[in-house]
Amino acid sequence: MHDLARRLLGLDRRWIFLVIAFGTVLPLLYPLGLPIRVSPEVRKIYDYIERLPPGGVLVLSFDFEPAGKPELFPMAVALLHHAFQNNLKIVGVTLWPAGTGLAESILSQVAQEHGKVRGIDYTFLGYAPGEANAVISMGQDLSAAFPADHYGTKITDLPILQGIRSLRDVHYVISLSVGFPGIDTWYVYGKEKYGFELGGGCTAVSAPRFYPLLNTGQINGLIGGLRGAAEYEVLLAREGKAIAGMDAQSTTHFLIIVLLALCNFFSVFTRQTGRTRYR
Amino acid sequence: MVFWKRTLPVAITFMLGITFMLQYYVPHPASEALLREVSVWNQIIAGFAVILGVASLLQSHAQKIKRKAPGWGYSVVMYASMCSMLGFGIWSEGKGEGTAFGWLYTYTLVPLQATMFSLLAFFVASAAYRAFRARSPQATVLLLAAVLVMWGRVPLGEYLLPGIGQVSDWIMNIPNTAAQRGILIGISLGAIATSIKIICGIERAHLGGGQE
Repeated sequence: MHDLARRLLGLDRRWIFLVIAFGTVLPLLYPLGLPIRVSPEVRKIYDYIERLPPGGVLVLSFDFEPAGKPELFPMAVALLHHAFQNNLKIVGVTLWPAGTGLAESILSQVAQEHGKVRGIDYTFLGYAPGEANAVISMGQDLSAAFPADHYGTKITDLPILQGIRSLRDVHYVISLSVGFPGIDTWYVYGKEKYGFELGGGCTAVSAPRFYPLLNTGQINGLIGGLRGAAEYEVLLAREGKAIAGMDAQSTTHFLIIVLLALCNFFSVFTRQTGRTRYR
Repeated sequence: MVFWKRTLPVAITFMLGITFMLQYYVPHPASEALLREVSVWNQIIAGFAVILGVASLLQSHAQKIKRKAPGWGYSVVMYASMCSMLGFGIWSEGKGEGTAFGWLYTYTLVPLQATMFSLLAFFVASAAYRAFRARSPQATVLLLAAVLVMWGRVPLGEYLLPGIGQVSDWIMNIPNTAAQRGILIGISLGAIATSIKIICGIERAHLGGGQE
């Protein structure tokens, strides 16, 4: 038994990969459809958007590249549906160069679904280099940071930006962030100085980092990982990729818990039987 | 030589550091105009830094290929990928829709990067099985917190054990926030101290460690 436990402790990792693969794929094929509880931090963003007046300007910063797509794509889609449903005007930007194509395609696809017109109901300004400087620059003068939008139209000619000279004039900013630059950049260099309200969305792995900002009101809400995106879809009553992925995440979490229990059991067992052997 | 390499950069850093530290507290239109101007300069400098980074990366991989250093094949792949993306990007004037550049982005870069990130679940599971053991009281607390958060953050966990979600939320909101806040304060104090050292010319590593 001692030897078996030792062998299991040194289990080839490919078996673990296989177990996780089954745990991911099976629920996607046969969904469980379990209810999802909405957390207060996600509800706060939803409620804030609900309270914005029609025609209010929401800056959505797609601060991620394709690596963050599995978690942040459903989040972006859900937020855009909500904003367009409420007739908000969306200004998309990104602080990540590799995120430009992805951000533009998400924004234009969702806008098309709602029959929104580019330049009037939404626009994508594109990528601005300089991380924190880009935010400061937008806070000082939007047209200095982005002389033209992603499609080459001068931003002073865009109807959507009439009356919007800088970040001081927008109603809400949400940063969907996979790392730095992201929520921290928008908070430290943007909200603090220019006084706009800020919400955040991030990958599950980085969510714990933003709880101090959430509890002090430095960000007014947080959508954390695929779970957060699924909660937002629940609030919108619009089932998307996040809800579909939650069953896979459920089984994967439980498989990891089982693996942790097993490895700790085997570890304690081998230590105890080892001691008995040498006594 | 010392003047150009050390004294002048330190003097410029000191002058700009002090100016913009004070600028934050002066909302006068002239001060705001100065910040507006300098933030545009900084964006231009950041743009050039990207070019410098790409050039440096290509140069370092070119050396690897030239010397046939271990793993030089990966450098060839990197070269081919970067040059093709760059070439198609310039050819299509940076436009994504309906261009070869857009196709490469959507059908190679996006799935490759998303796959790399998704592999995290497999490696986390494997690493947890190998290393996450309750060997000490501290490790046991960490292990229990991890299990409770993992359990409480998914619908299956809340379905099996109603109320576990609130326990998970409590861990995230109270002990996690306390620890993160401590880290954040530490980082901020460190950043302030380093900034003061750089502004005063005590810390000069950013100027390069070459001979004077």
